[in-house]
Amino acid sequence: MKKLLEMATKVCDQVEVFSQDDQFNKVSYENAKLHDINSHFSAGIALRIIKDGKLGFAYTRDLNSREELIENALHSLKGEVAASFQLPSYQELPNIKSFDTSIDEISSTKLVDECNRITENWKENIKAEIYVSAWTYVQKIRLLNNRGIDYTKKASWYGAFVELLFPGGASGIIGSLNSKSFTPFTESSSDEMIKLFKFGEKIVQPKSGKMKVLFMPASLNIITRRFLAGTNAKSIYENASPIKDKIGQKIFSDKLTIYTDPLNDKYIDATAFDNEGVPTSKLLLVENGILKSFYNDLDYAQKLGVKPTGHGYKNDYAGKPFPMADHLVISSGATSFEEMIKMIDRGIILVRAMGAHSGNILNGDYSVGLNPGLYVENGEIIGRVKDAMITGNCYETMKHVLAVENKPHNVGSRIPAVLFDNVSFSGK
Amino acid sequence: MRYTRHFVVYTPQIGGVRDKMTGIHTLHEIIYKLFYVYITKERDIMFEKLKKIISNSSADYTDIRYEDKTTTNIGFSGKELNTIGTNTTNGFVIRVLKKGGFATITFTKESDAIKALKIAEENAELLSRHIKKPIRLAETNVIKDNFSPKLNEDPRKISLEEKLELTRKYNAIPLQYEQIATTSTRYFDIVREKYFVNSEGSEINENLITVGTLAGLTSKDGSLLQSILSGSFGSDGFHNVRNQEENIENKTKIVLDLLKATPVQGGTYNCILNPSLAGVFAHEAFGHFSEADIIEGLPAMRAKMQIGQKMGMEKLNIIDDATMPNQLGFYKYDDEGVSVRKVHLIKNGILSGRLHSRRTAAEFGEPISGHMIAEDYRFAPIIRMGNIYIEAGDTTLDEMFEKLGNGLYIIDAKGGETAGENFTFGGQYGYIIKKGKKAGMIRDLNISGNLYQTLNDIAVIGNDFVQNKIGGCGKQQNNFRSSKGGPHILIYNLIVGGL
Repeated sequence: MKKLLEMATKVCDQVEVFSQDDQFNKVSYENAKLHDINSHFSAGIALRIIKDGKLGFAYTRDLNSREELIENALHSLKGEVAASFQLPSYQELPNIKSFDTSIDEISSTKLVDECNRITENWKENIKAEIYVSAWTYVQKIRLLNNRGIDYTKKASWYGAFVELLFPGGASGIIGSLNSKSFTPFTESSSDEMIKLFKFGEKIVQPKSGKMKVLFMPASLNIITRRFLAGTNAKSIYENASPIKDKIGQKIFSDKLTIYTDPLNDKYIDATAFDNEGVPTSKLLLVENGILKSFYNDLDYAQKLGVKPTGHGYKNDYAGKPFPMADHLVISSGATSFEEMIKMIDRGIILVRAMGAHSGNILNGDYSVGLNPGLYVENGEIIGRVKDAMITGNCYETMKHVLAVENKPHNVGSRIPAVLFDNVSFSGK
Repeated sequence: MRYTRHFVVYTPQIGGVRDKMTGIHTLHEIIYKLFYVYITKERDIMFEKLKKIISNSSADYTDIRYEDKTTTNIGFSGKELNTIGTNTTNGFVIRVLKKGGFATITFTKESDAIKALKIAEENAELLSRHIKKPIRLAETNVIKDNFSPKLNEDPRKISLEEKLELTRKYNAIPLQYEQIATTSTRYFDIVREKYFVNSEGSEINENLITVGTLAGLTSKDGSLLQSILSGSFGSDGFHNVRNQEENIENKTKIVLDLLKATPVQGGTYNCILNPSLAGVFAHEAFGHFSEADIIEGLPAMRAKMQIGQKMGMEKLNIIDDATMPNQLGFYKYDDEGVSVRKVHLIKNGILSGRLHSRRTAAEFGEPISGHMIAEDYRFAPIIRMGNIYIEAGDTTLDEMFEKLGNGLYIIDAKGGETAGENFTFGGQYGYIIKKGKKAGMIRDLNISGNLYQTLNDIAVIGNDFVQNKIGGCGKQQNNFRSSKGGPHILIYNLIVGGL
């Protein structure tokens, strides 16, 4: 890789070499039976160059032909993609422990045993169609540039995803676990899921209207996805954000504080640098309802004339960096999940939703199917709602927060459940 | 390891329309033949290499797929070009069946092949120790074939500069208007050269060439933002992305009009869906449940979805036909070497067929269909739809509006999702219909429904038909070539979300 950097530096002004190496192993149970084991290992290298203010990019699987990779990147300069940003120079970075060596000891057999343990525990207790999967993922990243950077990152990820599906429908109660090393799925998580499942066995059809909706962590991405589209520097630059001019203003309920927290290596995928080599730090997006900042990558930071925030991430090695709010956290509140349910006179607990990706995302609008929702009346769960939708606008909904759960759930991001008021519900 | 890169431009099955016009056909034919010999040799070398790898397997069945994938991407964000370039990557997928356990592995380095094979075999044996019912693969023919589609303008013969200029031209159309806040205009072509070998003796080389352009347009008035999509993908050449000016003009006008449209009020409506949405409806509301790997592990749904089950009215016919030439979802062999066939999923309202892998066909005791498709070398195949559509009926659009009376007319797809018996999908725009006439534009159209009910609520099927030019499906992997179509349809009692 150093040789590639040296060779490219001879013909370009700025050069960045990014390599990624992935190892993945996943065991899946369907209907309480072992169904699949899938493994994957791959490697790739991307070359990003800047020459005479123009950006070039190319990627490859291996370094068999450095010349060809450089040639492809040089060829792409002809498109004249303007790039006036400067790659960062080397800095001393904090030591982040994103890798746990015990990940290497998690064999397929161990994953099968854990899935089996969870499944067997449930099989006795519940009339659900049980889906369980568990996986290990090890990612190695190396980033070099011709301003002295040679950073590496190695991260381990053990994950489990469990579903108790209501027979006949394939929607159900879900649970997940994300950790740097093997962690058993706990009995208390299991019990909470069983409790909710049992409430959901009865089907109810509440009347349409505005009501309270308790978003469980896995469904809150409907709201965060829209908010993160509005705080992305790309939307700001393109004049495509409804909150473009609202820094310093109160846009949400004061119960909401939202930030990114990349350096906390208690959680998976912590990192001291983003995929462009910019040092990361905690970034407050919203503090007690007040909009504090937007997140960016090198390109959009330069375009907007602001300091890079260290949010230039790639989807994989072959993608170009793009502003992404990884390591998202919504600050926990003071109310337990049970207390939140007690606060609902008439409303829905949204377990998971369908269609989070469709609709007018930039405007903040959402309109999603319940997958499923549980109906609550006078603080008691009455049953499960099918064939219904909830609709709103994230910028409006986030103003009406009644309570934030006192516990973060690690669903990739760290997100508590949030209870909102005044959300539209449409049923049959 | 790139065995095919240097001759991709000269794939022999590709006709030489332009060459004929310039009178160099004979010379072209000579070059053609020379390269044909070269290609055949290179192809044989590849097959031999793959056969050698799987000869190390001690499994009962082994297959291996190698792909070279060359992607060209051009992208504009607003006025600015942000992406341009062509890159090739490659990799392998191995699948093994051993003692009744089935496991898959994907890898990118040829030097990892033996290690990968060993891991897959170990995992298959581990599976076999934990399952009661051994996995079987349905029988299929041994196939030896090399296939490339006939192209109307090969994208590999079009320069990057010409592709850029075309994309720039399309991107500039909406940007003339002050209220267009931004655009996201993309051109892509993806060339997948696939080599499949299995331990039963099949050797298949098939090339899939996908070309597309897609423009997302965003309009803005104060803090209100509206968006819409315009695009055209195809499996049979660069001609699919030419002449899009009028489409983009029309969509620009609509996204500007949407700034003045009324948000729809939530509730239950009788709705006419245009062909683009009828296709998405067929895909989301029903198609996914005809994929046997979805219902395989859902015993209650599987019990309900028996062949012979009544699903809708007698005039309802839903078909998946990946053999439709020139359509986006076209292919000849799937990624487990099975020749794809046309499947009647619903015939005269009755569930009559299903999309299968060799594994699910054996499990269900139903005929194989050839629907195991992978996004590329990074993935083992899963069951996917090819070209799914609702067959045209006999009602004119005027008659349909008359029949609707009061309700909604919803136009063009904007994403959808299926989860179990429920589905949602979005419409790009629509109109309130009063007494059979358009009475105002509406926006924010998202529909939800139930598999078992909504098919029964299809009341009228139009006599027109369009197979969509924009494709895609995100079931675990992206499949740009998932194509949907149909006529206008009238459905009763659809739940439409709204404030």
